[in-house]
Amino acid sequence: MRAETESERVARARGGDAGAFESLYREHVGRVYGLCLRMTGQPAAAEDLTQDTFVSAWKSLPGYEGRSSFSTWLHRIAVNAVLATRRSPRGRNETSLTGEDGNDMELVAEDAMDEATPIDLERAIGTLPTGARDIVVLHGIYGYSHEEAAGMLGVAVGTCKAQLHRARQLLRERMRMEAAT
Amino acid sequence: MTTIPFGPRRDDDALMAKVAELPKDVAPSRDLWPGIAARLGEERRATASRGMGWPAALAAGLLVASVSALLTWGLVRESRTPPDAEVLAGGTVAPADIRPVSYGANSALGADQLAARDALLAEFQARVARLAPETRESVLANLAIIQKAADEIDAALARDPASGLLNELLVGTYQQELQLYSKVVTARDGTTRRT
Repeated sequence: MRAETESERVARARGGDAGAFESLYREHVGRVYGLCLRMTGQPAAAEDLTQDTFVSAWKSLPGYEGRSSFSTWLHRIAVNAVLATRRSPRGRNETSLTGEDGNDMELVAEDAMDEATPIDLERAIGTLPTGARDIVVLHGIYGYSHEEAAGMLGVAVGTCKAQLHRARQLLRERMRMEAAT
Repeated sequence: MTTIPFGPRRDDDALMAKVAELPKDVAPSRDLWPGIAARLGEERRATASRGMGWPAALAAGLLVASVSALLTWGLVRESRTPPDAEVLAGGTVAPADIRPVSYGANSALGADQLAARDALLAEFQARVARLAPETRESVLANLAIIQKAADEIDAALARDPASGLLNELLVGTYQQELQLYSKVVTARDGTTRRT
């Protein structure tokens, strides 16, 4: 028997089929959670945001017409959820300090990426300032173009490029520090 | 000849290549579906209750004349000579040229809602085509305001498809369109009786 395509499952979910939606959740939860975790650096917050994303997606499914891939559409909702949380008191659980260049440097809260995190690069990304971290996550890890990432984050394309440039510099420095320790 | 380096440094490229190789999927520490499923259940109950209330909301939308976009038309109509004159004045606009509001790709309006609108459309178009030019202009200006609002909300929904507020605002514009149709169609009935 032919396996059901994603668009067929999306169509069934749009019609209110929770089983089809659960199947979409199973397929996409890893990416959505990965995105939320990397943008927030906080596993508990990322789990809440992942749930919020899928609930919002369920509510918005009638308006989804397949212009972008389901995955991109879902990621856009996840990014919106993260940005909304940052503006709320719940999302302000980040320590901020000022770097040598006078710009805010944000270090994620202690439980963000624990010592068991296997990849040093992942930990280095977690210590980037918010704007730089966002563009590394969306453009660097998830492969969105500067235009797409700018659209998701609600910033200018030039800002994305500048943030990526800054992120590269900071990552290089932090990877050197990791290697020295 | 000296070559001026352009673009990212080679070690940047290597770094970004490593970034791109990081796993896209990360498994959460627990199954998040039960929590989501519970919230979907609540949502479905709420939707069902909204669905039962929908005819009432539609009726209210048709009856309550509190929409600012319609104020101009209402004032013009009230200050005009009796409606009979409007009808007799005739018009040069073909009904088909009077377009309904077009809701964009991000609209969550259902086929049943658009069908309810379309049921009034032909009568509305015929009536507007026969209005006096000044009144017709005012009605069409109000329709254009509603179209503009729908376009703006649709553009915002493209950026924030999950926004409950934007979806509510879109339903609001739809109700305004229905109110406009209803007022125009009802006005004709009144005219007939008043002779």
